Amino acid sequence: MMSHFKIRTALFAAALLVVSPLLLAQNASTAIPTDDPVLKAMQMELARSQAKLQLPGQLKPYFIQYRVEDLDSYDARADFGAVSQEHANHQRAVRVEVRVGDYNRDSSTGRGDGTLVLTSPDNNIDALRFSLWNATDMAYKSAVQQYTNKLAKLKGFEVPPSYDDFSHEKPVIHIEPLAHMDYDREAWKKRIEHTSGLFLHDAELGSFADQIQYSISSVSAQVLNRYTINTEGSVVRESRPIYRVTAGVGTQAGDGMHLDRSYGASALTASALDSAAVVDKKVGELLIALRDLSNAPVVSEQYYGPVFFTGDAASDIFTELFAPNVEADRPDLGTTARTQGEYTSSYKQRVLPNFLNVVDDPTLKTWQGKQLIGAYEVDDEAVPAQKLDVVAHGLLQNYDICREPVRDFPQSNGHGRAAIAAASRSLVGVLVVRSSAPQSKQAMQQKLISEAKDAGLDSYYVADTLGSQLAPRMLYRVNVADGKRELVRGAVFDELDQRSLRTEITAAGDDAYVDNFLDNEHGDVPVTIIAPSLLFQEIGVKRATEEQQKLPYYPPPSVTAKN
Amino acid sequence: MPIRKLCMTAAVFFLAASPALLLAEANAAASQPADTVLLDAMKKELHRAMTTLGKTGSDAANPAMTPYFMSYDVADAWTTSITAQYGAVLNSEQGHSRDVDVQVRIGDPKLDNTHGTHRSSAINSVTLPLADDIPAIEHTLWWATNRGYGNALATYLTVKTETQVRAKEEDTSPDFSIAPPVTSIEPAVKPATVDRKLWEEKLSRLSGIFKQYPHVFSSSISMSVQDETDYLVSSEGSVVTTPYPLTRLIIFCSTRADDGMDLYREETFEARTPDGLPDDATITATINRLARELEALRVAPVTQPFNGPAILSGRAAAVFFHEVLGHRLEGQRQRGDEEGQTFTKDLGKQILPPFLSVSDNPTLASFNGIALSGHYSHDDEGQPARDVDLIQNGVLKTFLMSRQPIASFADSNGHGRAQTGYMPTGRQGNLIVSSTNQVPDAKLRQMLIDEAKKQGKPYGLFFEDISSGFAVTTRRSPQAYSVVPLMVYRVYVDGRPDELVRGVSIVGTPLASLNRIVVTGDKQDVFNGDCGAESGSIPVSAIAPAMLVSEMETQKQAQGTAKPPILPPPAADNSTGKESAK
Repeated sequence: MMSHFKIRTALFAAALLVVSPLLLAQNASTAIPTDDPVLKAMQMELARSQAKLQLPGQLKPYFIQYRVEDLDSYDARADFGAVSQEHANHQRAVRVEVRVGDYNRDSSTGRGDGTLVLTSPDNNIDALRFSLWNATDMAYKSAVQQYTNKLAKLKGFEVPPSYDDFSHEKPVIHIEPLAHMDYDREAWKKRIEHTSGLFLHDAELGSFADQIQYSISSVSAQVLNRYTINTEGSVVRESRPIYRVTAGVGTQAGDGMHLDRSYGASALTASALDSAAVVDKKVGELLIALRDLSNAPVVSEQYYGPVFFTGDAASDIFTELFAPNVEADRPDLGTTARTQGEYTSSYKQRVLPNFLNVVDDPTLKTWQGKQLIGAYEVDDEAVPAQKLDVVAHGLLQNYDICREPVRDFPQSNGHGRAAIAAASRSLVGVLVVRSSAPQSKQAMQQKLISEAKDAGLDSYYVADTLGSQLAPRMLYRVNVADGKRELVRGAVFDELDQRSLRTEITAAGDDAYVDNFLDNEHGDVPVTIIAPSLLFQEIGVKRATEEQQKLPYYPPPSVTAKN
Repeated sequence: MPIRKLCMTAAVFFLAASPALLLAEANAAASQPADTVLLDAMKKELHRAMTTLGKTGSDAANPAMTPYFMSYDVADAWTTSITAQYGAVLNSEQGHSRDVDVQVRIGDPKLDNTHGTHRSSAINSVTLPLADDIPAIEHTLWWATNRGYGNALATYLTVKTETQVRAKEEDTSPDFSIAPPVTSIEPAVKPATVDRKLWEEKLSRLSGIFKQYPHVFSSSISMSVQDETDYLVSSEGSVVTTPYPLTRLIIFCSTRADDGMDLYREETFEARTPDGLPDDATITATINRLARELEALRVAPVTQPFNGPAILSGRAAAVFFHEVLGHRLEGQRQRGDEEGQTFTKDLGKQILPPFLSVSDNPTLASFNGIALSGHYSHDDEGQPARDVDLIQNGVLKTFLMSRQPIASFADSNGHGRAQTGYMPTGRQGNLIVSSTNQVPDAKLRQMLIDEAKKQGKPYGLFFEDISSGFAVTTRRSPQAYSVVPLMVYRVYVDGRPDELVRGVSIVGTPLASLNRIVVTGDKQDVFNGDCGAESGSIPVSAIAPAMLVSEMETQKQAQGTAKPPILPPPAADNSTGKESAK
């Protein structure tokens, strides 16, 4: 989330706010500001609801939480060298969560309860209170209904759930300075136009430019200021700016196989993104890679043997196969499972080789100077972020827990996170995979060769980058005898799963790839995953079975003629 | 051509009764030259596609691989939209978009890839570069055409197989009508300069009026300016540019009665530019009226089942005709196994009382000084808009036709309309109901009372305002119209004052009620709104006089059970509200 140093002393923070505007964005305070109209409206309406909200003959709420999200956003997209879409918006929404019952058993359904209402981004106290009032009324009425339904449903089970519905937590006051959009729109529009039009002018690409079927570049800026207050006394104001630049190019090989390459980077400031020259250089490389891919042979014979994954590829593997399973999603009511997912019964069990350790540490704000967008100080349920030992010596030690705990984990560990406008849930923040025996690149290489030889193979595979569903995009077959690398296409991995994570990883590098991304499975929550390169002793590489679509029915407008 | 949805409601209405409005003349939007760079790129790329697709390589000898018709239809739109609520801006946006609908037809006009349920296979929509960057426009058109062609080709093969295995269709008319090329280059709309700060301030201030009405728990005022120019080129040689300037101001408010019935009121003002919208005094008066109506409705008695005479006000009659009659006169409703075909066999027959005539005239830009939403010069297939006499002296003459032929009519009459991304179908533009059996309002009211007495009823009903539901015209659904009465009064025969009732729902069949119209008022009112159907949401107008119906059956509408808000709104809660009153 934010990249600020936590300063506990309110006075100190207040002093800094006054004297050092440059440091503004880096300091949180524990003093509730009296001049923030949003907080004021929230507090006034929360007090009124807490004191008076009750339907005759029904329970009063035992917990109310107000969240106000102020989102200033901008995005633009360019295709084939020209901007095709551009949107700017400033909106504010209130999300009200009301719980009826008690901490042990309440109205929550696990389906993201709460009411969302659009409100005014003007700092108009009356209008804000009006929206909060409306949303509170709806949220309370539906909580009362849900509570009745839930009690009825629980009567159908012999054993009640062993966990509380909502964890007890200490109130937190955490006030960050407001963030503002800092972005040169016109300059960025020019950048994406230039980037998406690179293929039109790339001398090295030559006549292959006519084979490019799409060339997109986009930028986006999202500045979120989020307020959370609840009837337990927590008051949190956090700021979360995210700037993002992406590019994507694609073609089809002669047999119709779709080939895609993409680039994406996210940062907390626009200036921390790669420069135009760097992005263009990378996109130039993607275009050349597309050309090479379209000329590359398709993998043929099924292969089982060692595969080397770069840190880039390894971070994708952890994103896909590991992270979702340590995020504790509650099991369905009436079932005895601990969580949902692959690791539901893996507590204290082996999930990785013994030389691998994993922490989820949202308090880690930078890695070798690079901003980590998954970092935050207080989570989205007003619980302070905690560094969590997820895996120690290959054994699963902890799950990410939010305020809806699961069996054996009665408290939140500060990993309740919420996408914009959505309910919070347990999600990864900054997941760091590290080896207790890191290997140099040369050592990894040696091990790869010897494993291939041991398996009686004359070649092995190196995966540089992966695409969706962990399908390789840049995959090389390397000759054991002379080390010659050959780019191949049309492959998928076989048996790349939780079992191979547990048993097949034989070495991890001393490198670390930092992957900052927006988790689009969960409404674009910012996440960072840091992983070293990995060597798997045996993974299958086989031919993808997707259909080979028709090539374009007619050629594109001539590109080369325009240069 | 393509028209985007303009507002959040399915249909919004306009009462022409306000004197200030009647005085306002429909203002004109400023114009600028049509974008010839864009047009030239479209023409060039269309020509290249038509002369290349299916004519190279192994396909060269196979005419079944060549499109016989293609068109590019670009909607270039500049929009501003501002919404305020409870004294503050809720949302304020400005944007520019360019979308192209690529239409590809393979086969021949008699049988092509659009046959039967496959109409949408001819259309493929993508966003186009916003600037006149020729290589980028050409590349985008190429890519969209390529995709559209692939889809059309695959569907055409399916269509051919389907027609070979199915029984003979009821309506064997072709899939596309031949039309001469149209060349019409109108100037583009010059995007209105909207002073956003000024409008944000104005709408905020006006939306704050609702604070005086504590039971109105939801309200908003929106202003939307959409300045769109459409560019259409076709392989037949048509080149058509059509401007669509449209500005609206929409007021919405709602409340809930103690028994859980949700109630709402809304009002729309329509103009070509923001300058044509009414002044603050008119808007203020409208807000106060709507809020007072809601407060009155909230405590009004719930309706009782009733079967007796009723008056539909002009705008209520306009909505009624749009929903009940207009949708059933759309050409494609007469064709296809799934369609209701209500009037298919009624051509030349009396379907309305002989004193009523109905036309649809999109060429009309305004009526009594009120801008009409359903105005256009060329439809979304590039055909010139035409004034079509649908019903003359009660006798059905024709249908609303796009270029999709039906058994009785082969050609378009300029009513092929669609939202961007949809295939045009026969749709309404400005539906106009006129009458030769007119009486003044006072007389109409007296006739209602007389009719109620004659039927032995204590009262007749006056429908002042009706909202639109969605007209269901397919065979599987009951052919009931869906109109939602909003403001209904009992007009007592014994001279008691009129009484507002709530929860009225109309029951019965459409054809029956149309034939029970006895007499009409002597002035026509305008309804402006958006209409949703299979070709998307498009702006429409309907114009009709008030009408006396001898028999209208009503019942209590289904309603929610949720209670009104538990606490009073913050501003009305004295215990804590004072702190915020600044």
